[in-house]
Amino acid sequence: MNQARRSRGEALFFWLILTPALALLIWLTLYPMITVFLTSFQNYSYITGRRSWAGIANYINILKDGLFQDSFRNTLVYCLSATAIEVVLGTVLALVFYGDFRGKSTFTILLIMPMMLSTMVVSSVWKTLYHYDIGLLNTILASIGLPRVGWLTDSKMALWSIVIVDIWQWTPFAFIVMQAGLASIPQQIFEAAIVDGASYYQRLFRVTLPILRDQILLLCLLRTIDTFKVFSKVFALTRGGPGNATETTSFFIYREAFQYFKLGRSSAASVITLLVVAVMSFFYLRKMLNSKEA
Amino acid sequence: MGTYVTSKHSPLFPILLALILVISLFPIYWIITTSFKTPVENILPVPTLYPHRFTLENYQKIFSSGSLRYLWNSIFVTAVSTLISLVVAFLAAYALVRHRFPWNINVVFLVWIILVKMLPPVVLAVPLYDMFAKMKLINNLWGLVLVFQVYTLPYCIWMLYGFVKALPLEFEEAAQIDGASRIQIVRTVVLPLVRTGITATAIFCIIVAWDEFLFSMLFIRSPDLLTLPLAIVNYIGEFETLWGQLMGIGMLATIPIIIFARIVYRQMTSAYSIELK
Repeated sequence: MNQARRSRGEALFFWLILTPALALLIWLTLYPMITVFLTSFQNYSYITGRRSWAGIANYINILKDGLFQDSFRNTLVYCLSATAIEVVLGTVLALVFYGDFRGKSTFTILLIMPMMLSTMVVSSVWKTLYHYDIGLLNTILASIGLPRVGWLTDSKMALWSIVIVDIWQWTPFAFIVMQAGLASIPQQIFEAAIVDGASYYQRLFRVTLPILRDQILLLCLLRTIDTFKVFSKVFALTRGGPGNATETTSFFIYREAFQYFKLGRSSAASVITLLVVAVMSFFYLRKMLNSKEA
Repeated sequence: MGTYVTSKHSPLFPILLALILVISLFPIYWIITTSFKTPVENILPVPTLYPHRFTLENYQKIFSSGSLRYLWNSIFVTAVSTLISLVVAFLAAYALVRHRFPWNINVVFLVWIILVKMLPPVVLAVPLYDMFAKMKLINNLWGLVLVFQVYTLPYCIWMLYGFVKALPLEFEEAAQIDGASRIQIVRTVVLPLVRTGITATAIFCIIVAWDEFLFSMLFIRSPDLLTLPLAIVNYIGEFETLWGQLMGIGMLATIPIIIFARIVYRQMTSAYSIELK
């Protein structure tokens, strides 16, 4: 009797302390998401506030739109190349700097400085370095007799310039993740492999990397998810230009909504993005839930 | 020990080390030096590697043009939104770990949080803008505090969930047998145990809020309510060549955050170490 009352009181207590988070998330994320979903099937004029149903017209419209296709391709190129390079570089660095040496923790702390900086600070300093006439990079190129590069003004180069900034900023993260993984492998495993006469590359490809497979996958997912969102860097460095060379999906959605006020189109693009993220995240979700629930 | 990969006695090793440090720290060095150069020196056709005429002029200009205001706005919004997120997230995380809610709410909640964390925030921008406009929360720092919860709350719940989950149950059970109420248990047993976890979460949350740009740009209109990222973007756009001042503001935006580097390093190293089965 007492026990039953106590546990009912307990349940009430837990509901009470969950409620603020539940309410905030429903209000700030679930409700907006439903609105976006509904709006994607409507013609919605921001100025008159009038809504009318449009079926899947917005989706057809968007999927046929060359600009949306470009922005999607740019996002994929950005996301996949930045992730791949960061993961490979991070892994190589973690292998090279495996084990202890003097000043290692100082070295690592200095190394993670770039990822501590605000995106806007990072973008502004790279903007000065990339400057066509008086930027340091072009000065160096010119001084060794190479032609100047239109880092942010050449439409073939601009997207890669933003990729370079991301690599500079986030490779340290990849390094830390891989290093943490490497450090948790017991030494005996390597010693056993050495005793068995395995060469360095055999140990690397048959022992180390297979053990780290999940860690590498996790890192790939984290970087893919993060780079897929890219917005601030594009905004600060190129505003989607030159032409549409650095237009990404986030930027496309922003422009449709807040510059052209085409909310139906912007919502349809949002829902498509959402679906892509959901598919990408499937594996990540399963992995994260397993690790937290276990 | 630890020599299965490379020989650290190779003369190439320190060179490699130095090279990596230079690549990674040079842009930061560039922020610092540029902020101490005169405006003329900053637009020389060939950039100078260090300030030939050291000047504090940029900082004087920044402070006299009211940039401390932006610093204060950033600090206010970051601090308050972090505080709210920590309290709300801690309570939710504790409930999710210690209680099995009906309808599988525990799992649904966590899945939802991960989804929100992965979502490009611009997806939510239009409806949130509408909602906030109706509530007169546009162009209002409290509006920013609220909308930042979209980023910070899932982040905090996720991290704190991990920390609370790692706590042993025995202490709480012992306190319960001694007749302590849940509120007492949370206050006197759980909170002290999870304190380092809360500190780590707070720091990551601060970094996220400090960096926020999209909603700040959409929601803030008045110049006196700008946060630092907004002020920086304005500088990039309007005064293309006032690099000294731009980097000065960059320093303002960097110093309050960079002091956490050591804690971030420790936390990440422990968060991403793996358990071998």
